[in-house]
Order: sequence, then structure tokens, then C-alpha cells
Amino acid sequence: MNTPAAPAHLSPQLRQNATTQAMMLDVMVALVPTLGMAVFLFGPRVLALCAISIAACVCFEWLYRRLTHQSSTISDLSACVTGMLLALSLPVSSPYWVPVLGGAFGIIVVKQFYGGLGKNFMNPALAGRMLAATLPILMTTWAQPLQWASMARPDAVSAATPLASLHDGTLPTQTLSQLFLGQQGGCMGEVSSAMLLLGFVYLLLRRVISARVPLAYLGTVALISLLFYPSGVNPLLWAAYQLLGGGLIMGAIFFATDPTTTPVTPRGQIMFGVGCGLLTMLLRYHGSYPEGVGWSILTMNCLVWLMDRMGMPRRFGIGRFTVTKNWVTEIKSSLAEIKFVKPERKLDFLGLKEGKMPGEAYLDTLRTQLKSLAPVALVFVVTCVVISGIHTITDLDTARAEARKQRELLSQVMPQAETSSETPYRANGALSILAGYSGDGELLGYCVEVQSQGFSGAITMVVGVDLDGKVTGVAVTSHTETNRVGTEAMTEEALSQYVGRSGTLRTSGDNSVDVVTGATATSKAITAGVNRALAIVANLDTEGEVEYVDSDV
Amino acid sequence: MTHSFFGGVFPATRKESTRRKPLNLLSESPREIILPLSMSADGPSIPLVRPGDRVRLGQPVARWSETGGAAAHASVSGKVTAVEDRPHPWGGSSPAIVIRSDGQDTPWEGSPDPLTLREANLTLLIERVQQAGIVGMGGAAYPAWKKLDQAAGRVDTLIINAAECEPYVTADHRLLLERAKYVIQGGELLARCLGASHVVLVTEGDKLNAVESLERRLRRNKLVRLCTVRTRYPLGAEKQIVQTVTGREVPPGGSPLDVKCVVFNLATVFAMQDAFFQGRPLTHRVVTVTGGAVTRPRNLWVPIGTPWRTLLEACGGLREEAELLLTGGPMMGVRLASLDAPVIKSTNSLVCLTTFERKPESTGSVCIRCGKCVESCPMHLAPTFIRQALKSSDQTALVKLHPEDCNGCGCCSFICPAQIPLVEMVSQAKALLEKGEMAP
Repeated sequence: MNTPAAPAHLSPQLRQNATTQAMMLDVMVALVPTLGMAVFLFGPRVLALCAISIAACVCFEWLYRRLTHQSSTISDLSACVTGMLLALSLPVSSPYWVPVLGGAFGIIVVKQFYGGLGKNFMNPALAGRMLAATLPILMTTWAQPLQWASMARPDAVSAATPLASLHDGTLPTQTLSQLFLGQQGGCMGEVSSAMLLLGFVYLLLRRVISARVPLAYLGTVALISLLFYPSGVNPLLWAAYQLLGGGLIMGAIFFATDPTTTPVTPRGQIMFGVGCGLLTMLLRYHGSYPEGVGWSILTMNCLVWLMDRMGMPRRFGIGRFTVTKNWVTEIKSSLAEIKFVKPERKLDFLGLKEGKMPGEAYLDTLRTQLKSLAPVALVFVVTCVVISGIHTITDLDTARAEARKQRELLSQVMPQAETSSETPYRANGALSILAGYSGDGELLGYCVEVQSQGFSGAITMVVGVDLDGKVTGVAVTSHTETNRVGTEAMTEEALSQYVGRSGTLRTSGDNSVDVVTGATATSKAITAGVNRALAIVANLDTEGEVEYVDSDV
Repeated sequence: MTHSFFGGVFPATRKESTRRKPLNLLSESPREIILPLSMSADGPSIPLVRPGDRVRLGQPVARWSETGGAAAHASVSGKVTAVEDRPHPWGGSSPAIVIRSDGQDTPWEGSPDPLTLREANLTLLIERVQQAGIVGMGGAAYPAWKKLDQAAGRVDTLIINAAECEPYVTADHRLLLERAKYVIQGGELLARCLGASHVVLVTEGDKLNAVESLERRLRRNKLVRLCTVRTRYPLGAEKQIVQTVTGREVPPGGSPLDVKCVVFNLATVFAMQDAFFQGRPLTHRVVTVTGGAVTRPRNLWVPIGTPWRTLLEACGGLREEAELLLTGGPMMGVRLASLDAPVIKSTNSLVCLTTFERKPESTGSVCIRCGKCVESCPMHLAPTFIRQALKSSDQTALVKLHPEDCNGCGCCSFICPAQIPLVEMVSQAKALLEKGEMAP
């Protein structure tokens, strides 16, 4: 008898209207207010950049699919969304080739190499943008809002971004309402929180995204900025500026909700948002750049698989209690399987083995152990060879001798000082000006290297001058004076008479130093050098424009 | 205290065309009715009549056997013309008793006497329900007496399912509105016989007039409680309705009895009280004929066995070409292969969808991992991961994903923006795990 069984229910005969294409279109619609505000703030160049970016992304997608003989996927509009997001996350001053470069990287490397829509693990637009961010000047100059950038070559004005002041631990100069409406320096799309939130509401109403990721993200950022804020700053204001400044809202609404690169499971999505928030605040507080939204979202993109696994929904009909109970029984049963056996102690490595002498067995053991140690030993030997090679090749001794000479000179010129360092001061007639510091880092004086004309050539000397303008020591580093004659004026004894002197020194009369007999010219030259060094220290400046006239000695 | 279930979807209800239309009898009884012998989920019934026999309205024409099946009764008076294969709404054809009506609807005298609530007890109720041939009228078609027998003494909550979450269908809405008194009596009767301490009538907020009339009636009723929830599909699914009312989750592979609940469809409760208090067998049921292609959508009170073609004619026929004919609502329903198939006990509607209402089927594009299927699955499954595991025939992964929990509600397929047939894939995975091998 032919009996029909109760029918198996298959696919519902109705479908909701939203297709992938419609979702992508909705995202673009949600970006329209942001785009409009960007045009209002930064001028028509925004539109040009946007058009170029979208065109580039669509072109690359089409080209790649064409060249690899795959079906064309440009009709799903995902490349358009990528292009639009990429453009809006760039500063208005970026040259026109930047979105093309970012688009090429995002579409080809990040998206299509991994199999196209739905298979990429990083947000293509964000990856393209962050690649562009690695270009040095490009992403650190921010155009001034409400001053339209020129279409051809925008000036690289650097407007103060609120994040830069937040990074320094102070509140920005802009008011919160200015920030909310978009009067701040920044990327084209990220400045106006109001318009971004408008887009967010649209996406929520159209059920394109769920509020889980953005709310978890923004909530974490708010919580952390309320918990950790610099002293003397109102925490509420601080949190508000953290939320409204930079690309946080744009990232949370448009980049962290990209379906492909965020977790599938609801619980995973919340974890993703919290993780993004934590990373962003870590980068903002401790990173060298003021902003951390892009990197944190990209980092969390790479951890999606983990959050998907951890956020798997609980099986229906298995209560939380039962889940815990099952877990406990599982642990218990696996613990029960562990048998504690009293280990048998045997010391047999010296024991006699059949057919072998006692020492032989031990040698075998040693040999096997050595074999296992061989790679380690090899690495060790190679490292030693490399290091000794570096030693022989590089002239470490010379460098050490140089350093030692420096130290000796310092101890001669300024015995109190222990370290010296470069100073920004420059002066006509001074070869170098070093600052001398005591062991605790206290500034003691300056060591000025000067040159003066001696009997038969230039004499180079270093003169130490303390902060009171007194000479602490003089050392001659090079000269061409006649031996025995000229050098008489360079003995320790002769040089020590300068120590403690100040003012203009003369060779006779008031404030004079004794001229060494037979080396008058040299003595005079040294005195002149010391005088110049004293004058330089008395008139220290960074420009080097002061003329020092050698006084008559 | 309110509970709710996880997930679900919000299809457009599209009930406006019939929600205000009262239950009508057919203007003339059908000339021919077809009573398929398999109207119950657990097997075919055995015919009691032969061609040429004269039958009257309410006279039993088939009986249940030890293996299964349910009693069937003539829903018109007339002459049995044949017992032969006829198209069945579940697909294919099956043996059916064909009765030619004489147009008189002469009642059968042998019906049992009416009883009162005082006389109610479980044995009597089961006997009456068995004789009346009542099966689950929400679509499951499981014999009601077996369910009563299993539930007796084991439940504390009786749930009357008036949550018509399927789009288009308004049969239960009209029944609830127009026969509220009898439904409440039925609930009291069942609670008394089963020993349940609460009766909860679950309905949705979009049936506002029914909710208002019930609230007035139940104001002083201690036993029966009304539970009105927001319209969300699949509220009418057994496990979800139990969760909504009591917050209890039916364990995997279990039935609501495991959490001390029993769920009866509204129409079943109405039929059971009719059988008990009036002694009438199940011969008529409410049917909604609706959809954009129908000229005059209506709610009808029709004899069971009426061919769908007759019903459609009573509604003015099709005004434009129907893309799809469905019985049982567009979400969980099945395609109707032939209009010559009859109304059976478990079908509540005929939905004729136009091409405009039903988007043409697409092949399905790539998954973009939006997670909407996970978010909407009321059984806490992850259909997209099941699909992945099925594609890579990874059995160990499949086992952990529990595709056997799927109740086939189709939320995932409905919501999927890439139009991937996820329910089919989950049911394939289910079959794969049952067989322990890959399906070809």
C-alpha cells in the first residue's frame, strides 16, 4: 500500500528581502551622511578621492576575477563598499594614488587571494588604509576642517587632532559639540560622530548589523577611560573625548561590524567588541601613535576563529547547571582514570648489561645523549664563530681607545665631571661645545674645544669652564709646536695656572698668567684660546651668530 | 514573569486579507468528498465501508488499528462511491474513501451522548477522543488520545497553542475569537483530566480583538491564564512555546513531557471538547484560503475531505496565476501538488502565492559570515558551521554541532542574505549522522 508519510519540512517558501547586495547597498546608504559632512568640511576633493577609490576597488576586483577565470562578483557591491570605506578613512590631503594603492592591496591581497567575499580574514578596506598609514608623512598631516582642500595639490596643513592632545594626557581645545559635529582634524569620514551615528541607526533599523559589536566596543572604551584618566581631568569629559575623538566611532560602526571578518556567534561578537576596545585603549595609552583603532580591529580580525569557537551557543535544552554538571562529571571520570603507581626506582645506567663491560653501557648512554645535544652544540659553535668573526672584523679596540681618550680628556679638563654630552650650542670659533655632568646628572660646566694660532701652526685645545665662569682645566689635544721649546708651555704645571681663573686673562699686568720663558708665542696662543672659551661660555646661544673678537693678550 | 526563546525571525504577517473575515460555512456542501485513509502521522486507518454503502454525517467510515491510524467519519451524508487511490496533500496518492454527497447532511443517530464537566475523567476523555478520530490539528497529525495517555498525571502545565506565527494564516485567530467560550471549556476539561494545575493559552499580540475578548472572559478564571506575546516566528513550535510560557527547555531528543508540559493546538482542543461535551466526531475544521492570487480570501468551516478545488471555487477562484500553492502556511507548509487533494484533519490553510509575493528562487551566493542564521536559530544551532562541516564531510565536527536538534523551522534559510538553503543542509547533516555515512 502506498502510504504517504508525514511530509518532511524543508526550506521555507518565503524569504526575507535582504540579499547580500541589498545589505551592501544599505551600508553605502548609511555612509552617505558621513560623506556629505566630509564634503561640507573638506571640500569637493573628498568626492574625487571617493570616486577614485571606488573605481579602483571595482576595477581590481573585476580584473582579478577576470584574470583568474572566476565569475564576476562586482554586482554584489562589496567592492564598492570597500572603496567607499577606504576613501573615507583617508585624510583629505592624501594624493590621488593612495586610494588606488590601498584598494589594490585590500582587494587583491587581502580579499581575493583568500578566495573573495566571505573568505578573507581581514577587513580589506581597513587593511588598505593601514598600509597607507605606514607611509610616513601621509597620515600625520590633517587638513583643517571648514577650509576646503584644493583639488589639485592640497597643502599639508597639520591641524591639531584632539587625539594628539589626549595622547599627551590633556583635554583638546575643541569643545565636545565641535567634535560631535565634526570640526576636528582627522580622516574624511571619521570626524563627524553625529553623521556616523545617523548611519548606525539606519543600519540597525534595516537589521544589517546588530548592535552587539559597536556597543561592546564603545562601552569598553568608555569604561576604561572612566577607570584610567590623567590626574586633574574630569573623567566624564575625558571619556567623552576618548569616544568622540579619532576614528573610534567609525571603526566601531563600519569596520568592526564587517560581517566577514567578525565572529558569527552572538557571544563571540561581544567578545570581539570588548577585545577591540581593550586593544584600542592599550594602543592609545601606551602606543607611540595617538590612534589605535585600526590596528586593534585588524588584530582582532585575526582572532575571529577563536572567538567563534568560544562563543558557540549553548545547546538547547541543556541548562547552565547541566553544562557545569557534565563538565564536572567529565573531569571526575578522567581523574578516576589516572592511576597513581609508585615508581620503581632503578639505578641501572651503571648496571651491567649483557655482553658489555660496565663502562661500555655508560658510554652508549653518553653517546645517545651527545647525539641529542649535537644540534644545540652546533648552534653554539656557529654562534661563537660568528661573534669572534665580528670581533676581528670590527675595530672594537679603536673605538674603545677613543672612548677612553675622551674620558681622560674630560678628567683633565673638568675633574669633577663624570659624563659629558653634546649640547645644542654653537659658537663661532668653537669646534665643539660639550656639557659636563656630575654622577647625579647635575650640569657642572661646559668643555669648549677651541683653536688658536701658535708659533708654528694651530693649537687645538679643550677648555673646561664651570657655571661660575671659572676655568676648571685646559688640555691641548693637538699642536705643531717645536718640541722642547713650544711644548714647555704645555706642561701640566704651565696649564694648571689657568685653573680657577676667570675674566679676560693677560700675559702681563692685571689678572695675568706667567709666560713660559722661551715659549712666549705658544703661551700667548693658549691664553688667547682660554679667553675665547671663557667668552663663548659667557655668551652661549644656539645660533652661533655671536662674533668673538680675540682680545689683545 | 515572562520568558522568551532565543532567536527567531519576523516575517511580514500579511494577515490583513482574512483577519476580519468571520468563519463561514460553505454555501453548498461539496458534491464529492475524499477521505484519505492516512490522516494520522502513525499509520493508515482501516476502512469500515464498501463502495455502494450509504453513510450519514458523522458516521464512522474508518477505524484505527493496533499499529496506528485514527478513526475517520463521513463529513457529509451520501453514498460511498469508491475506495481508491486519490491525490494526497502530503504528496503522491493514497487510498481514500470517496463519498458522493446527497446534499442533505442528514446526521447519524449513533453519535455518543453529550457529557458534562462533572462526569469528566481521563478514561472517558480518551475513549471519546479516540472515537472522534482527533489528531493533532496544527500540522503534526499525531493521534490526540495517545498524547493524552502519555501526558496523564505527568504534567503541571497545559499549553493551548493559539500562536499562529505563520504568515497569512488566520484560522486559529478566527476560531479563538468566535469560539472562545468553548476553547476555555476545553482547557478546563483537559486540565481536569490530565491533572495539570495551570492552563496557559498562548496567543500573539497581533490578534488584538481575540486577546481582548479572552481577557474579559478569563478575568475571574483561576485555572486558565492568557499569555500574549509579541509575534515572532517560530513561537508555535512546541519547544519554543514551552520555553516562552515556563522558561523550561526541553532536553535534546525529549518531548515537552520531560519538563512537565503538554502542548495542544487550539483546533485540537476545540475538537476534543466538542467530542466530549457534544459527542460530535471530528468532521469539520477551520481553513483559511488566502494569498495574493485568491479572488476573495476567506476563513471557512469546511467538511474534512473537501477537495481544495471546491474550496478555491468557493473563494472566487484564482484572480491571477499562482506561483505556488501551499498547505499549512508559507514557512513550515508543504507544496500542494494537485488541487484535487482534499482538506485533511491537520491542514489549516491554502496559501496561493503570486510571483510577486514569493521571490523567485535564487541559486544562493557565497556565505558572507554575517551570523544571522546563528542569531536567529531558536534551537541554539550554528547552521553556517554545520554547512561548513557538511561540505568538508567532517564527521567529528558535525557531532559537536548537534544538527539532530534542528526542528526544521527554517529561520536560517529565511534570514540568509546569501539565500543558501541552510535547512536542507542541516537536515542532510542530520541524515548523515543517523546513517553514520556520507549521503551521495
